[in-house]
Amino acid sequence: MSEKTSRRNFVKRSAAAVAGAIVLPQIIPSTALGMGGKLPPSDRIVFGLIGTGSQGMSDLRDFHRLDNQVQFVALCDVDSNRLSTAKETVDKAYKNQDCRTYGDYRELLEKETLDAMLIAIPDHWHGIIYSSVANKKINVYGEKPICRTIKDGQTIVSAVKNNGITWQTGSWQRSQAHFHRGSELVRNGRVGKIKYIEVGLPDGGRGIGTPPVKEVPAELNWDMWLGPALKVPFRGVSHWDWRWMLDYSGGQLTDWSGHHIDIANWGADLEHTGPVEISGTGVYPAEGIYDAPFEYDFLCKYANGIEMRVANASRFPLGMGTTWYGDLGWIHVDRGNKLTASDPKLLEGEIGENEIHLYMSDNHYQNFIDCVRSGKETIAPIEAGYRAISVGLLGEIAMTTGQTIRWDPDKEEIIGNLRASKLLSRPYRQPWTLPTV
Amino acid sequence: MKRQYLILLLVAGLLTFFSACKKEVHYNALIITGQNNHNWKASNPILKQLLEQTGLFSADIIITPEKGGDMITFDPDFSKYDLIVLDYNGDSWTEETNTAFLEFVSNGGGVVVYHAADNSFPDWEEYNKIIGLGGWGNRNEKSGPYVYYRGNEIVRDDTSKGIGGTHGPRSDYIVKTRNFEHPITKGLPVNWFQGNDELYSLLRGPAENMEILATSFSATRRPGQAAEAAAPAQGFRRIREGRDEPVLMTITYGKGRIFHTVLGHADEGGGPAMESVGFIVTFQRGAEWAVSGKVTQEVPFDFPSASGVVLRPDFKVITLDDAMANIGSYEIEKSTKNFTFLRSYIRKIADDEKALLNVEKKMVDVLKNNEVTVDSKKLLLRELSWMGSDYSIAAIKELISNNDLKDEAGFALARLQPSK
Repeated sequence: MSEKTSRRNFVKRSAAAVAGAIVLPQIIPSTALGMGGKLPPSDRIVFGLIGTGSQGMSDLRDFHRLDNQVQFVALCDVDSNRLSTAKETVDKAYKNQDCRTYGDYRELLEKETLDAMLIAIPDHWHGIIYSSVANKKINVYGEKPICRTIKDGQTIVSAVKNNGITWQTGSWQRSQAHFHRGSELVRNGRVGKIKYIEVGLPDGGRGIGTPPVKEVPAELNWDMWLGPALKVPFRGVSHWDWRWMLDYSGGQLTDWSGHHIDIANWGADLEHTGPVEISGTGVYPAEGIYDAPFEYDFLCKYANGIEMRVANASRFPLGMGTTWYGDLGWIHVDRGNKLTASDPKLLEGEIGENEIHLYMSDNHYQNFIDCVRSGKETIAPIEAGYRAISVGLLGEIAMTTGQTIRWDPDKEEIIGNLRASKLLSRPYRQPWTLPTV
Repeated sequence: MKRQYLILLLVAGLLTFFSACKKEVHYNALIITGQNNHNWKASNPILKQLLEQTGLFSADIIITPEKGGDMITFDPDFSKYDLIVLDYNGDSWTEETNTAFLEFVSNGGGVVVYHAADNSFPDWEEYNKIIGLGGWGNRNEKSGPYVYYRGNEIVRDDTSKGIGGTHGPRSDYIVKTRNFEHPITKGLPVNWFQGNDELYSLLRGPAENMEILATSFSATRRPGQAAEAAAPAQGFRRIREGRDEPVLMTITYGKGRIFHTVLGHADEGGGPAMESVGFIVTFQRGAEWAVSGKVTQEVPFDFPSASGVVLRPDFKVITLDDAMANIGSYEIEKSTKNFTFLRSYIRKIADDEKALLNVEKKMVDVLKNNEVTVDSKKLLLRELSWMGSDYSIAAIKELISNNDLKDEAGFALARLQPSK
């Protein structure tokens, strides 16, 4: 399905180029070869980037490391300073002045013909922008977490599937050998039957109290930054620190769900389902502008009997990362190449021919490029990303309501709790609406 | 007994009986003070207030003779009390008083060792067993080992030579809970801020039967200097070299239970270290544990996190009525505490429809009040959007025509009337 789409994109682009009818130049000029590329320019994946903050630019650099397989032709940000700095970076890489810039993603989508979009924007914008880009049949490398709410997530998943695009979630841990190895060992029963999983995520950051209202800096389109979120006066907090405020994010919990919960699901084969019961508590700042929980501790029960406890890492003896406990022992994985077990023997031995072999990728960015070309599924497909963040979001709902939440992972509905159900979505500020998919 | 007195007693008893939110006073406490290198005149009435605020204690204060005074007059009857709070750092007591105190503790009396009380009596061996760790007063390796955490490992056998007790300049610093099972610290955040306090470091002592409940990081090069003060710009990237010093401890001595807190340096009127909710709550919970071995007090909504210091001005506890009476004056640059209270209260009563409706009615009353601020209505509408019922809808609809509130009213209605 997505193979066809991906080809269609290429075809569309070449056809347009032949006909000379494109709105903006799509043929990458031969001067671009000056950067020592191995691929002819027409074979490069033509990229746009929405969100030129630290994560977007870090991803862009990682794509640029792939031997000229990509070319960024258009950038978009609501901060004109960031946008011009990003353009300088890109133009310098291609030794030209060709990269186009936009302050509004809608204009970018209207004017550009792209193979792929890199998107790294605050969570509250994901629902609209991920779905809109997918509706344009542009392949997406999208940053985790997939969504701010379950409803946003459901819309994005439908948009990606219905449009048959290639999607890669920025959950890059999947493309690291030790995370892969740990998950594969667990999936093949090396800890026995999985009983319990611990997921340790970072503690909250540092509060800033109640800063005064400030004048919006000239370079920032504050109304566009807020987008579908409720209008609030500017208080000097936007880039990066949005993650401590519930209008835009769920704090460290949702920021990191796309990493260690994603790995927990991968190893325990929970990628296509969700918990049936969730309960727990959060530590909310008593004072100040930051209102996301600084600490959190909740337990998810699955229909197959597995329990997963998600908490800030200081609550666990093994700290950060994912630990699967089975009747034969435990295996723990974390960043920094950490792969340990209750007994080192659990980590030995090959995965046999007839055992389960998890999808293998040694470069998250190359994997996306390869899949855009082949139309195959990526290592971090949309549903896995959505199921990972939905655990965090359901935990957030349990903590907000103070109640035990019952969840139907197939229908994706909260059972018998009208109040909690209302927290599955956040109404959008007019005139913004979720796109129809 | 006189008849009048009996009636009074009866009335008092009935009042206690009917006052649902006030717990019955179970325990008698005695605060010992009168000499201290700290402002004991400021601290002792506050300690009394904090104990009595729990509804579990009534507290007396006994003031020792001044420095150099005749200690023979200091002869408390410990047997009348369940808890002794030590806010004393000064001259030796008489042998008789010492013996009576040790008897009180070993027979099961509770003790709270508060801040500089762990400076007192460096040469009284049994006292040092009661406090576990102490500082100053020429304490050194002869006083016992240093006890602290290095990373996640507790170190109990550091007998290296050196002074006992120091602190750096006062600062806000993070306290790290180490024991989540102990009644005193169960349910507390892992990391929480203490405001503008002294960070006691390099304490040493016998440390027998001592458990560490919470620690704070102190840099090796400047012991007692909190990393948060030494390198504020580094944020969470703490100075690496250092150790986590005990700030909350429990000790048992005979049958007695001792809670030792190094927190709560007193200024005139209390000041930020005493007004810090972390100090207040751990002091109150520690006192209850010391007399009963358990803690019935809930962790309050305003317990701090790593997000920042939280103070209780005048040591006042917020109630639902206070919160709802003051919530309407909220403006965007002011304290958000009443809203945090409201959110935590809603969580607490989440399974009680009647109580929820009661709160909803109070919230709607604020919405309907023309005297209250737009900013407070905005925040209330966010809460009502999910916890509200049909009861709220009419009042919210009224606000749709209000230019300042139409977005938030629309937000709330979109959730409360999803078909629209």
